[in-house]
Amino acid sequence: MSGSANVGVHVDHESKEDPALLAEFQRKIDAGELIEVDDWMPAAYRKGMLMMAEHHANSEIVGALPEGEWITRAPSLRRKLALTAKVQDEVGHGQMLYRVSQDLGKSRDAMLRDLITGKTKYHNCFNYPAPQWADIAMIQWLIDGAAIMNQKTLADGAYGPYVRTMRRINMEEAFHFKSGEDMVLTLMSGTKRQRDMAQEAFDRWWGPSLMFFGPPDKPNARQLPPMRWRMKTVTNDDLRQRFVDRFIPAALDLGLKIHVVTKDEHGFVTSKKPDDKIALNKDTGHWEFTSPDWDEFFRVIRGNGPCNAKRLALRRLSYEQGRWVRQAILNGSGSLPPAA
Amino acid sequence: MPDLPEHLKKPFVNMLLAAADDKLFLGHRNSEWTGLGPILEEDIAFSSLAQDDMAHASALYELAGSIDGRTPDELAFGRTAEQYRCAAIVEVPDEFDWATAIARRFFCNHFDLLRLTRFSQSAYKPLSDLARRLVAEQQVHVTHVDDWVIRLGTGTPESHKRMQQAMDAIGPLAPELFEPLDDLKPLVDAGLYPGSDFTMYDEWTATVEHVLGQAHLTVQMEVGSPDDRGGRRGVHTQYLAPMLDEMCEVYRLEPKAAW
Repeated sequence: MSGSANVGVHVDHESKEDPALLAEFQRKIDAGELIEVDDWMPAAYRKGMLMMAEHHANSEIVGALPEGEWITRAPSLRRKLALTAKVQDEVGHGQMLYRVSQDLGKSRDAMLRDLITGKTKYHNCFNYPAPQWADIAMIQWLIDGAAIMNQKTLADGAYGPYVRTMRRINMEEAFHFKSGEDMVLTLMSGTKRQRDMAQEAFDRWWGPSLMFFGPPDKPNARQLPPMRWRMKTVTNDDLRQRFVDRFIPAALDLGLKIHVVTKDEHGFVTSKKPDDKIALNKDTGHWEFTSPDWDEFFRVIRGNGPCNAKRLALRRLSYEQGRWVRQAILNGSGSLPPAA
Repeated sequence: MPDLPEHLKKPFVNMLLAAADDKLFLGHRNSEWTGLGPILEEDIAFSSLAQDDMAHASALYELAGSIDGRTPDELAFGRTAEQYRCAAIVEVPDEFDWATAIARRFFCNHFDLLRLTRFSQSAYKPLSDLARRLVAEQQVHVTHVDDWVIRLGTGTPESHKRMQQAMDAIGPLAPELFEPLDDLKPLVDAGLYPGSDFTMYDEWTATVEHVLGQAHLTVQMEVGSPDDRGGRRGVHTQYLAPMLDEMCEVYRLEPKAAW
């Protein structure tokens, strides 16, 4: 469900590399060729791609947690099966992306340990709470919708293994989005209580959805290595605009209202007012909207969001509870009688 | 839909519900592991198995509902605890312990393979047609869980110890899967549930003990459940009601609404 648009890829300057190899590398990138795992690549590119794929993998398996909490509470057999399969898909995406990362030189165990000790990060949006069933609908509609938009552009990148993984993930994400759209539509066509639940969840998730694509770009974003090397192909702000152009009219059509909200430290809405900037600009053809609270974004990304501690604690518990199993399967004799 | 003799409808539905309820809660308990499994690859596999179990339950509810008029969701979500017919072994929590989760699956999967095989020979064609399809999937469940029991039983001293503890805790509950249902004999006599529980029990015990032997594990099982409990009669452990409260939390907000 996640994308890596807001991972901060700060790669070293490539001046230490052999100029001829570097020029050939850049030529391949500019010609639209794919870079494969055994090809020569600048050390900074390898490091940056690893950071990006690892962050994305982390986001998938942490992203499984807020929705996973609702599997046991899904309100029909069909939704229960669909949600289990959906969360399973996210774990599968994590598995594929950890494999891409492993090939770039870091062991899976090291990545899982760095995740639970806070050394590496995951996508910010999973630090928000999902207190109602309707939040699951909004996560699948808005967050998965945002992820598809982002990942479609990542599938135009230059690193072959990551690009192929994105293509496969995007096919599955399309199902998640459809499932989310169906859930939102069902709630908005339901009883007043269901419509209220949907609106409240939308109010909680609209801000994180706008933040999904990362903070506003630096003016020279297109000249910096992540875009010059086609690790990403579209700026954060352009992706955000594509998202709002698609989702503002869709939300209004469904009868949802777009609010500017304030939240408490638990991520719950404490006050809201209509976003009076919402309008289609006839000249540009784009929708206008109130920017999210970027102070909140940086506060949450530094670890002080509503659910950072809870998400990491659960991942840590999973890692520790599974340690003896991994030892038995990966290191155990497997065929010999146990010691007396 | 072929006709069932009127007097056999209630016991037949009761039998389908026992099978569906076992599957539903086994799948429900196992789905709690989705996203939290000990190895990513196994997390994915385990989640598929949980989905199979819940899908099998759904298909069996649909069949039961075609006879008594209720929808699968009404049967899954709309009953009181004493109206469920599941066995105690699917009700108890695994406390997020992989050995317990595997031990539970082990006994249930072997039991379900034999039960579904008997269903696949039923004179009621909608059941035999459905069960033949489910048996093929159930066979995969058995292969998967046997492999885990053997690998953990013979893996490391710690994995052996943990598996043995889980077998000691879960094993005594396993024979309750065989608690007789009300009015089962007329169903057997009519060929709707062919075979015998005694033969099935012997077969189940022999298979289970064979695999446990390979895994260097032992189990203590006693036939006959305590008088104060019997899931097949609607007398459940203290764990079923809170599990139902959780499962039905959203459904009960608006039981008539579409979700």
